[in-house]
Amino acid sequence: MSDVLKRAITGQWRHSAGGSLLAAGHQVGEALVPVVIGVVIDKAVSTGDSGALLRWVGVLAVVFAVLSFSYRFSFRAAERASEQAAHGLRIELTERVLHPRGGAEHGRLPGELVNIASGDAKRVGAVHIALTAGVAALAGLVAGGFALLWVSVPLGLVVLLGIPPLLLLAHLLGRPLERRSGTEQERAAHASGVAADLISGLRVLKGLGAEATAVSRYRRTSRDSLAATLRAARAQAWHDGGMLALTGVFIAVVALVGGRLAASGDITVGQLVAAVGLAQFLLTPLSILAWANGELAQGRASAARIAAVLATPPAVADGAGALPAQVRGEVRLRNVSHGALNDLSLDVAPGEMLGIVAEPTAATALLRVLGRAADPDEGVITLDGLPFSELDPAAIRTAVLVAEHDADLFEGTLLDNVGAAAAPDGIVPAMSAASADEVADSLPEGSGTALTERGRSLSGGQRQRVALARALAAVPPVLVLHDPTTAVDAVTEARIAAGIREARAGRTTIIVATSPALLAAADRVVYVADGTVVTEGTHADLVHGDDAYRATVLA
Amino acid sequence: MTNDDKARPLPHATDPHERELLPTATGPRTRSALRELARPHRRTAWAGFLVLATATGIGLLTAPVLGHIIDLVADGRPASAITTPVTWLALIAAVQGVATSFGVILVARVGEGMLATLREHFVERALGLPLERVERAGSGDLTSRVTNDVSVITNVFRDALPALARSVLTLGLTLVALAILDWRFLLVALLAVPIQAWTVRWYVQRAVPLYAAQRVAVGGQQQQLLGTIGGASTVRAFRLADDHVKQVAASSNKAVDLALRGIRLVTRFYSRLNLAEFVGLSAVLVAGFLLVRNGSVSIGTASAAALYFHSLFTPINIALGLVDDAQAATAGLARLVGVADMAPAPTEQTARPDDASVQISGVEYAYRPGHPVLRGVTLDIAGKERVALVGASGAGKTTLAKLIAGIHHPDRGTISIGDAGPATTGRTVALVTQEVHVFAGTLADDLRLARPDAEGDDLLTALDQVGALSWAEALPDGLDTVVGESGHRLTTAQAQQLALARLVLADPPVVVLDEATAEAGSAGARTLEAAAAAAIEGRTALIVAHRLTQAAEADRIVVLDKGVVVETGTHSDLVHANGRYAALWEAWSDNSRS
Repeated sequence: MSDVLKRAITGQWRHSAGGSLLAAGHQVGEALVPVVIGVVIDKAVSTGDSGALLRWVGVLAVVFAVLSFSYRFSFRAAERASEQAAHGLRIELTERVLHPRGGAEHGRLPGELVNIASGDAKRVGAVHIALTAGVAALAGLVAGGFALLWVSVPLGLVVLLGIPPLLLLAHLLGRPLERRSGTEQERAAHASGVAADLISGLRVLKGLGAEATAVSRYRRTSRDSLAATLRAARAQAWHDGGMLALTGVFIAVVALVGGRLAASGDITVGQLVAAVGLAQFLLTPLSILAWANGELAQGRASAARIAAVLATPPAVADGAGALPAQVRGEVRLRNVSHGALNDLSLDVAPGEMLGIVAEPTAATALLRVLGRAADPDEGVITLDGLPFSELDPAAIRTAVLVAEHDADLFEGTLLDNVGAAAAPDGIVPAMSAASADEVADSLPEGSGTALTERGRSLSGGQRQRVALARALAAVPPVLVLHDPTTAVDAVTEARIAAGIREARAGRTTIIVATSPALLAAADRVVYVADGTVVTEGTHADLVHGDDAYRATVLA
Repeated sequence: MTNDDKARPLPHATDPHERELLPTATGPRTRSALRELARPHRRTAWAGFLVLATATGIGLLTAPVLGHIIDLVADGRPASAITTPVTWLALIAAVQGVATSFGVILVARVGEGMLATLREHFVERALGLPLERVERAGSGDLTSRVTNDVSVITNVFRDALPALARSVLTLGLTLVALAILDWRFLLVALLAVPIQAWTVRWYVQRAVPLYAAQRVAVGGQQQQLLGTIGGASTVRAFRLADDHVKQVAASSNKAVDLALRGIRLVTRFYSRLNLAEFVGLSAVLVAGFLLVRNGSVSIGTASAAALYFHSLFTPINIALGLVDDAQAATAGLARLVGVADMAPAPTEQTARPDDASVQISGVEYAYRPGHPVLRGVTLDIAGKERVALVGASGAGKTTLAKLIAGIHHPDRGTISIGDAGPATTGRTVALVTQEVHVFAGTLADDLRLARPDAEGDDLLTALDQVGALSWAEALPDGLDTVVGESGHRLTTAQAQQLALARLVLADPPVVVLDEATAEAGSAGARTLEAAAAAAIEGRTALIVAHRLTQAAEADRIVVLDKGVVVETGTHSDLVHANGRYAALWEAWSDNSRS
C-alpha cells in the first residue's frame, strides 16, 4: 500500500474505525429485519398469541432504532474521515507545488495538477467510505449467514454457496458491457463538451460570422452522441435486466429448497419466510463488497498520482546562505549556459537600469535562472558577490523579483493584487508608474473592483499594467521585468517607460524587452544573440550603429 | 437542523453593476417546453411506460406465489406440490428481466432524444444571441448554463429518470397488489405515507439551497486551486505561498463543511424514512395478525403482505432520494428553456456589398448612460483601404472596432458598409481580436468553421498565407491533429495565426483587427504582424494597433482621443505635421532620452 494511502487512512483512523463499527451494526440490523418478520409470522400470526405479537413488534422497534442510528452516525463518521483526509492531501499538494524550490509543475499542466488536488484527493479520501461500507458489508454477510444457518443448515449452505457463483456470473456478464459502455459514455459526454467549447469561442464565431456553420456542426455532434448514448443505455439495460432475472431465479431455487424442507417439517413456515428475505438481503452486502473493491482500486491509483507529485525532485538546489541586511543589487552572470543561453556573461551595477534584447528562447532561459525556476547548467550567478546556488531560493526572491511576461493575477480586488507583496507605501507610486491607476478609474468600483476569472475580466493591456504595478509596489532591490507592456498602446507605453524609470531610481532594474520605448528609458542596453552578449550601449547608439539591433527592435 | 441551514446563498454570484442575467423560464413554460420536447416521442413513451408497468406487475407476482408456497406448506401438502409454483417463480423472474430491459431502453430513447433536441435548441439560440446581450449578462452566465445545467439535467435524465420511473411503478403497483391481497393491508400500509411526505418536505426545503451552496463552494475551491496552481510561478516570485495555502485551505474547508452538512442532512433524511418503514411494517404485521385471527386471510397471504412491504423499502428510498435531483434539474431546465425561448437575432444580411467601403457618420456610443465612449466619430474608409487606428487606452478604439463589426449598434449616427445599408455583420465584416480560441476538434475542422466547403488545398493555402503552414504540417497528424482544450495545445501566437487563417478562408470584404497581434511576446508580434498583413491583403481593413510599425505600414492613420478623431493622414503626413502622432512616433522610433 502506498505511503499516501496509508497516511490518509491512519490519519483519520478514529473516525474510520468508529464509523465501521457502527456501519456493521446497521448491516446486522438490516439482516435481522426479515428474521424478525419470520418470527412474528411463526410466533404470533400463526398462533394468534397477541402477547407474542406485542413482544416481537417491540423487538422490531429496537432493531429499527439500532440500525437507523448506527447508519446515521456511521456515515457521518466515514464522510468526515473522507473529507478531512482529502482536505489534508489537498493542502499538502498545494504546499508542494508552491514550494520555493519548485519542480512539481515540471511536465504537468496546471489543469492536471488541479485535478490531482481535487479529484484524486477526493478519491483517496473516499477510501474511508469504501472501507466503512466494506467492513459493514462483511458484518452483514456474517450475520446473515449465521441467521440462515440457524434457520437451517442445508438451506443456509444453498444460499451461502449459491451467492458467490451468482455474483461471479453477473460480473462476467457485465464485464464486456462495462468496457463497451465506458467508451460509449465518453463519446456521449462529448456533446456537452463541444457545446461548452463553442460557447467559450462565441466571440470568435461572431467575429467570423460562423454561427450557422457551428450550429449545424453541433447538431451532427449531438446526434452522434445520442446514438452512442443509446447504445450504452441498451447495453446497460440488458445487463441490469439479466441481473434481475438471475436474482429472481436464485430466489426461486431458495424457495424450492426451503419449501421442501418446510413441507417435510424440517423448518417452520416463518423460517421459510426469513430464509427468502435473507437470501434477498444477502445480495446487497455482496454487491457492496464488489463496489468497495472498485473504490479501493481507484483510491490506490489516485494515491499513486498524488505520491508522484509529492515526490517530484525540486528544480533548484537548496542553500543555507543568508543575504546581507542591505542588498546593494549588484548582479553578475559569469559564463552562464542554460537552455538557449550560451556562455553568457553580464554585469549589472547597483542602481542601474539595464535593457536586455534577446530572442524569446534566450529571454525565457534568462528569466528562469534569474528567478531560480532553474539553476544554470554551467556558470555562476551572484548577487552582491554571493553565488545564487548557495542561497535559499525563497531568500533570493526577497531581493530579486522576476516579473514574468505572462504573470498571473489572482482572485480578489485590483488593490488586493497590487498590494499582494507590496512594501509599505509602495502601492500608490507603483499604481501611477504603471498607469494602473487609469485602469482602476475605468472600473466600476475603482481599485476595489473584484477581478474575476483571474483577471480575465480585464483586457490584456489592463492586466499587464496591474501586474507591473504589483511588481513595482514590492520595491525589491533587484527587479527583472519581461515584456511588461506588449499589450499596452503606444501612448501609455511611453508614459509607463518614464514611470518605471522614476519609480526604480537608485535600484537595480533589468528589463528584458524589445520595445523601443522601454529600451530608450534604460541606462544601457545589452543585445544578446545566439545566447551570448554581442553588443552593448545606449538604445540610441545601438539603433543608429547596429543594423542587427535596429532590425530586431524596430522591425 | 439549525436555522442557518435555511440561509439560501445565491447560486450564481452576480455583479451588482448592470448585470442583466439571461432569462429563466417560468414553471408553467418549463413544463410546456417539456411537453413540446416529448411530443415527437409520444408513442415510444407510452410503449415504454406500458412495458415497464407490465414488467413491474409481473415482478409483483413473486410475493403471492411465495405466499402460495407458504400456504401449501402450512396446509401440509407434499413437497412435490411446490415444484409448479417454483417454476412459476423462475419464469416470472426471466420475463420480468427481459421486459424491464425493453422498458428501460424505450424510456432512455425518449429521455435522451428530448435531451438532444433541447441541447441543440439551446446551442442554436445561444450562438444566435447578440453579443451585446451576452456581455450584459456576463459571459459566465451562458457558460454555466451550458456546462453545469446541461450536466445536471443530463445526469437526471440518464440515471435518475429511469430509476424514478421504475421505483414509482413498483410503489404504485405494490400498493395495488397489497389491496388485492386485502384492502385493509393497503390501508395500514398507507400509515407510512404522512411520515414520508413530511420527511421529503423537510428534506427538500433544506437540500436544495444546501446543494446549491455546495456546488458554489466546490466551484470556488476549484477556482482557487486553478488560480494558485496555475499561477504557481507568480506565487513563488512574490513569496505569496503562505497566503495562497491559507486561501486554498479556506476554500477547501468551506467545501468540506458544506459536504459534511450535506451528509448530516442525508443521514437524517434516511433515518426518518426508517421510522416510516417501521411504522408501515409493524402495521402490516399487526393487520396480518388480526386478519388471520378472524379468518379473513391465510398465513400465506399475511406473509406475502409483509414481504411486499419489506420489498418496498428500496424503491421508496430511491424515489424519495431523487426528489432533490429532480428539483435541481427543474431549475436547470428553466434556465436552458429561458435561453432557448429567446427571440432569435434578426437574420443577417448575407448579400455582399458591391464595394467594400465603410462610411461612419456622427457615431456616438456609451456603455453606461452619461459616460460616452465615442462622441461623434465621422470617418470614410475607401474600398480596400487599410486604416490604422491609434490612440491611448480608453480613447474608444475597441468600441469603434466593435461598432463597425456590428457587435454593438451606435446610439446615434450611422455606419454603412458599401451600399449594403447600415450595420451589416456576418460575412461582410469579420472581426479578429486578441482573444483567441482554438475550437476542440481537428485543425481542419477548426479552419472549416470559416468555410465549411473548403477543400484540403484551400486550408493549406490559407495556412501558408499566414505563415502557419510549417508548424501545422509538423503537428503529429498534420491537419487532422486534434487541437484545443483536450488536444494538442497551440501557443498563443499559433492560435492567433489560426484565427488569421480562418479570416483568409472566410474571405470577408471588410476586416477589423483589434490588437490581433498583441498577446504574443515582443518577438512573436512581428511574425503575427506579417501574418496579419498577408491576411488583409485585398480587403478593406481597420487595424487597431499599438505597435506603431504596424500603423506606419497602413494607407492611412487615424488618431482617436477621448472618443473623437483628432488626426488623420498618412504616416509621413502625420510625422511631418508635428502633432500627437508625431510625438508618439518619436517616442517609439527613437532616439534618445536626453
